[in-house]
Amino acid sequence: MFFQQLITGISVGGIYALLATGYSLIYSLLDFSNWSHGEFAMIGAYTAIVFSTVVKAPFALAALAGVAGGALVSFLCERFAYRRIRRNGAPNMFLMIAAMGLSNVFQQASNLIFTGQYRSYPFQLPVSTVKVGSAYIGVLDVVSLLITAVVLMALIYMINKTQFGLNVRAIANNAGAAKVLGIKVDSNIAKVFLLAGSLAGVAGVLYGMKYNVFPTMGNVGLKAFIASVIGGLGSVPGAIVGAMLLGVLETFVSAYISSSLRDFFSFALLIVLLLVKPSGLFGVDVQDKA
Amino acid sequence: MTNNNSTPVLEMIHVEKHFGGVHAIDDFSVKIEHGKIHGLIGPNGAGKTTIFNNITGIYAPDAGQILFNGTDITGTPPHRIAQIGIGRTFQNIRLFANMSVIDNVIIASNMDAKYNLPGALLHSGQYKEDEKKLREKAIDLLSVVGLQDKLDERANSLPYGHQRKLEIARAMALNPKLLLLDEPAAGMNAEESVELANFVRFIRERFDITILMIEHHMDVVTNLCDYCTVLNFGKTIAVGTPAEVKADPEVIRAYLGS
Repeated sequence: MFFQQLITGISVGGIYALLATGYSLIYSLLDFSNWSHGEFAMIGAYTAIVFSTVVKAPFALAALAGVAGGALVSFLCERFAYRRIRRNGAPNMFLMIAAMGLSNVFQQASNLIFTGQYRSYPFQLPVSTVKVGSAYIGVLDVVSLLITAVVLMALIYMINKTQFGLNVRAIANNAGAAKVLGIKVDSNIAKVFLLAGSLAGVAGVLYGMKYNVFPTMGNVGLKAFIASVIGGLGSVPGAIVGAMLLGVLETFVSAYISSSLRDFFSFALLIVLLLVKPSGLFGVDVQDKA
Repeated sequence: MTNNNSTPVLEMIHVEKHFGGVHAIDDFSVKIEHGKIHGLIGPNGAGKTTIFNNITGIYAPDAGQILFNGTDITGTPPHRIAQIGIGRTFQNIRLFANMSVIDNVIIASNMDAKYNLPGALLHSGQYKEDEKKLREKAIDLLSVVGLQDKLDERANSLPYGHQRKLEIARAMALNPKLLLLDEPAAGMNAEESVELANFVRFIRERFDITILMIEHHMDVVTNLCDYCTVLNFGKTIAVGTPAEVKADPEVIRAYLGS
């Protein structure tokens, strides 16, 4: 039972991590919380639905289209909304408000287009379980976990070991200095939105496989946001650790206490952590960031 | 690029910049020959840093022209300016504070890298070769400024004087032909200022570079600059050798104040 819950918890945490890293990346560059990020996952999930039902593409292709869909919408939000607001020299608060607006528009639009009905992928998903020792592990959880692990490892490698990652870290540290050292700040920001959007797309498809696809599924972004705050806003490894903690905590609370108290415990963890360590587990400084 | 000495490295012609009704720079012109150190002096708010921001493309001037080795660079974006060979430092040091000393320098030279993303993820030969070259170049530069023992320290853990040197090493990683130094001796005592002046002179010889510097310390300017321009409220009030401008009555009135 314990082991089984742990695997489920990590698998849920993995989906949170795919989104939480996106929040962190964008926060580290632009100092605002991109509230429409959860909707990129929802759009990714619906893109995969459209490709699998309307276009009748095989699942792998539909899933890739979902990832691309998340990436594209994220990129467009940056290009046509956030970038213009930044250019106007507006306070960061405006970016956050614009993001909230976009989030609403996307939710309502998907409600109009797809109705509020729960949809599932028209494929035989591996819902079976395998017996490991005395525990039954869901195959879907394991598949989701493996995909997440590969994607997150690639992400960490990109951030830490490539020139692109170095540029992104430099912009996060000091965009003004990065500019005069030959780094194209805007184009790197655009790439980060593509990257964060595609991670959200992966999260959306995995989440849709587990819990179906519906217009408000992007609200999972709130959990991912909590995870990134727990880990320390702006820190990618922090976001991953925070997401895993939150996923495991929620699963254990649901299993051993009560699933209706799940969110109570998530938010309680957030509040306690903010009281004890305001900068989060991996946060550097939070002085001027709140 | 070999510079034939008749073309100035930097030429600014009637450059103007206003913010609202404030004339931050008013009709500013300057010509800097290859290998010279040119000083930009004047009281706070005289428009010195605005001139740097115009050269490096942070702002586009409202009027006038900026030529770099004879090419018009007016209004070119900052990352392009860096790529064509103008490096700068900042008055309030702007390092990548949370990154290592060596990463600070590698960033500035990373446009030399030719590998692509799949190459990086798969550790291609090009990736390894480029990374090795970038690292070696950074170590060379850091040795020149005497920071070769601090490669993996965090930039903001260095003492102040070393941070200044790191910022200069980082600018030099662009292989610049023109280096803009914004108050390199700010916050230094007399002894440190002398050391800094020697260091700047050494950089000029070692890299055969042209330097435009903003400086408040008159002793540093006298010691180091071939020519200087004195500004007051955006207007040029004197141009000449340090000795000449020090003797200029208007400069004495506006700036030296005694």
